[in-house]
Amino acid sequence: MTAQGILTLVEMWCWTGVAVGVLFLLFGIHRVDEDASGAVAFRPLLIVGIVLIWPLVLWRWYVLARGIDNWQRRHVPPRHTHLYAAVFLAIAVIVSISLSMALKQTWPDHIAPEKLSTAAPNE
Amino acid sequence: MSVKYIPVQWNKNKYFYDAVLIICVVLFLSIYLYLAPDALGHARPINPAVHNARAFGACAFTMMTFILIIGPLARLDTRFLPLLYNRRHFGVLTALVALPHALTILNWYFIGGPVDKYEAVLNSNLAYDRVIGFPFESFGIFALLCLGILAATSHDFWLKFLTPPIWKALHYLIYPAYAAVVAHVLLGSGQDGHMPVFNALVTGGAITVVSLHVIAALWERSNGDPVAAKMERWESVCNWSEIAEGRAKIAMLSSGERVAVFRHEGALSAISNACAHQNGPLGEGRIIACLVTCPWHGFQYDVRTGRSPAPFTETIPTYDLRIEGDQVFVRTEPHPPGTPVEPVPVPEGAA
Repeated sequence: MTAQGILTLVEMWCWTGVAVGVLFLLFGIHRVDEDASGAVAFRPLLIVGIVLIWPLVLWRWYVLARGIDNWQRRHVPPRHTHLYAAVFLAIAVIVSISLSMALKQTWPDHIAPEKLSTAAPNE
Repeated sequence: MSVKYIPVQWNKNKYFYDAVLIICVVLFLSIYLYLAPDALGHARPINPAVHNARAFGACAFTMMTFILIIGPLARLDTRFLPLLYNRRHFGVLTALVALPHALTILNWYFIGGPVDKYEAVLNSNLAYDRVIGFPFESFGIFALLCLGILAATSHDFWLKFLTPPIWKALHYLIYPAYAAVVAHVLLGSGQDGHMPVFNALVTGGAITVVSLHVIAALWERSNGDPVAAKMERWESVCNWSEIAEGRAKIAMLSSGERVAVFRHEGALSAISNACAHQNGPLGEGRIIACLVTCPWHGFQYDVRTGRSPAPFTETIPTYDLRIEGDQVFVRTEPHPPGTPVEPVPVPEGAA
């Protein structure tokens, strides 16, 4: 995929997120969270988050609006996953350190710099 | 806490925490830019833009390192819990410090050409098939995106809207983000042979973070909460005499949920161990004036009802409990959050 293609996708993602954000903040938020009802000043702070993770926002909005949220899951934190995260981090960091030390870039210090062209006419 | 959301919930402690943070950031940048360029090995003639970018980048890396150190330290030694209290502001400030680093690089190295600067940063180096000269910028872009997601979803609204477990899972992005930053630094400016002190500091910081997390995770495995013994719909949690007044015993039920059994004024009550805010370990808190206080952020609950005191509206599940002989049994199925349950008195004549 070209850089231009990636940027187009990013742009589409962001504009979709803005649309979801406007709809959610105007018509959805106070229906799924009573603490947001009448609270307006904090809503602009949410826009960036909605733009970044709008699919997750749409899913949670749907779940809460339909009343199909499983309240028991709120109280089961993913504590057991910390060990996996720690091991992943350890491997990634050790690989980075090893590669950066083993494959050091060498600098052409022994070659004198050479001017490739003369200055531009207007300089 | 709940009631109505406001943009930022500051209090005296958070003002102090944030003030210390900002002073430390200013000091770091000042020292990096003006006082210690020789010690850090970046005294070679580089232009101010690159110098500034490195300063902000180094500061963001250091902040991420400290953020990641706080969690395992607080797990291993409760004296570090106050540092955990306002860690979200720490994270937001880190993203704000990382941003100038990225923007300075973007506006120095990638403008002036015929190609759009965002296109240029993606196209300038496509050597993804080798280590030396790898496009380390991609690691930085990924890490910045992660930091942006973490900062943008730091408001309490997100915790309630996503639920604490999903919010926590999302915020596990800090781990790949940190790994990416380490790769970004070591395969980027770390290849500059003129910065040995800086490289040593980065490597040392990363190894410290990794070591503490592995130690804390292993400690949790070996010293974690005991598993309750299941007997039909009830589970044996502990001996009631093990529970000190105002304190709790925690046990993991067969459902995977953790229950905290508190002793208060000679009677026992069982509530979920997970705080409704960030799933902090309520059972590690103590009862003050009938309310248990979460050791992470100070949220409070009445152990008899699972409810926060008015005007707050947080609720947590409660459990039925009974005593047989010296054993405390808890029913596996919790009551919906905020359901009052009559405390069970400990046998008379007990200490």
